[in-house]
Amino acid sequence: MNNIALGRYLPLNTIINKMDPRSKILILLVMMITVFLPAGFIGYVPILIFIATALYFSKLKLTYALRALKPMIWMFIFLLVINVLVMRTGTLLISWGWFKVYSDAFSQTAYIIIRLTLMIILCTVLTATTKPLDLTLGIEKLLKPFEKIGLPAHVIAMMISIALRFIPTLIDETNRIMNAQASRGVDLENGTMTEKIRAVLSLIVPLFVSAFDRADQLADAMEARGYDPSATRTRYKVLKMTNVDYFAMAFALVVFATDLVLCWI
Amino acid sequence: MPIEIKDLEYTYSQGTPFEHKALKGVNLTIPTGKVIAIIGQTGSGKSTLVQHLNALIKPTKGSIDICGFHITPDTKLKDVKILRKKVGLVFQFPEYQLFEETIEKDIAFGPKNFGVEPEEIQQRIQEILPLVGLDASYLQRSPFELSGGQKRRVAIAGILVQDPEILVLDEPAAGLDPQSAQEMMSLFMRLNRQANKTIILVSHDMEHVLRYCDEVIVMKDGKVKTQMDVHEFFKYPDILREIDINPPGIVQLKEMLQQNGFEIDPDSYSLDELAQSLKGQVASHE
Repeated sequence: MNNIALGRYLPLNTIINKMDPRSKILILLVMMITVFLPAGFIGYVPILIFIATALYFSKLKLTYALRALKPMIWMFIFLLVINVLVMRTGTLLISWGWFKVYSDAFSQTAYIIIRLTLMIILCTVLTATTKPLDLTLGIEKLLKPFEKIGLPAHVIAMMISIALRFIPTLIDETNRIMNAQASRGVDLENGTMTEKIRAVLSLIVPLFVSAFDRADQLADAMEARGYDPSATRTRYKVLKMTNVDYFAMAFALVVFATDLVLCWI
Repeated sequence: MPIEIKDLEYTYSQGTPFEHKALKGVNLTIPTGKVIAIIGQTGSGKSTLVQHLNALIKPTKGSIDICGFHITPDTKLKDVKILRKKVGLVFQFPEYQLFEETIEKDIAFGPKNFGVEPEEIQQRIQEILPLVGLDASYLQRSPFELSGGQKRRVAIAGILVQDPEILVLDEPAAGLDPQSAQEMMSLFMRLNRQANKTIILVSHDMEHVLRYCDEVIVMKDGKVKTQMDVHEFFKYPDILREIDINPPGIVQLKEMLQQNGFEIDPDSYSLDELAQSLKGQVASHE
């Protein structure tokens, strides 16, 4: 329960921490599109340069960003097996009777692994350098223009911040209920499949009940204090873009343009 | 057989930046058949300590001898499952552990996990229900329809039905109205006096500690500060003030009387006894 690397804010004092959350979100969006451009393996070079720069300035260790990949190793192996079995394009590498392995099986798997890895590093840089509340504020500001077509920007941002706020609470709650049920003989590690399903049920039902309870109470508390989602409000923290933001966005756009060009040649 | 705790240490998230030492060498001998209170401030290690008693967490260092089990850092969970039946642990706000469709099923959940025969479970449920102040009409209802206090009774019944030798309760009366709290406490007293169960009570309520407990264990900063007979303990209210807990009203009254020059029998813990002590010292009523 304690190894959630993805999404944890690290309070370091770097220039990336001080950047405007709006520009960081926009850059992440641009880079996400870039990662998925079909520019071939050479297309990852500019992205890697960008990521190296981001990691350097955010003082994050590469191993920290990669920690989230550990549990995905099995998924990668599974992908490789599936690709080896079904991929029928590229050059033939091995041929034992019906069992044929083509080169695309490996290159396609490599693409997926590289793309996921890059995405995870990019997301980790964003969440590790941006406080959750700044992040939602950034999202709210970015969605503001869409309010004209009926998108409830503030409500979405409020929902995200409430969800983020309750993650640690729910983890605590889960641990508590797990201990309580363990005291009643629940054993999550040993036992048959049916026993395990029952064990998980004894955990999920109370967790949902208390989550709904909390939601009700929170709604009451917000209403009691006169919360109105449509009210116009001022901010204690005013977002302001600086030269660093403009430079970083320009950098991201250059990387995007390079890869776009690489797609055509 | 008493519970023996030797050099118990426990560290949360060992080897990470969030490392936190909760217990720093606890040595205790807890006698069985008594009602023991564990008190201390939040974060003093009370909860961590009681979770060791049924091997929910294993010591980082040291050992515990309880109900014939010897728990060390190397103990395997499989080997101690039966310990959890013998040591019933009731967490704070246990009503949050209810999950079955009917109250009957929820109460039966624990013993079923420990492999008790269905007929025996039925029989035990019939015995337990009146003890916690519920009747058979509740059995087929959903636990989620009940009020908070009733839910707690069901949750406690779910532990009592396991027939534990040692009952560990973390703030069982927290959030209950005074009437229910008192009923709850007298239930535990009955279990102690009649069924000879050892009751270990984590509590912040000094009135309850004074009234119901035989012995007090004070925890401070992951260590045992004192362990004393309850009446002996309340002769030194300064120990309580050191951990920012107010002594019970009767003890405060005693102190005030003493400060005003009255001689009070140190062993008096009821208003009647106090009045007895004062008789003859009050010259006249004006």
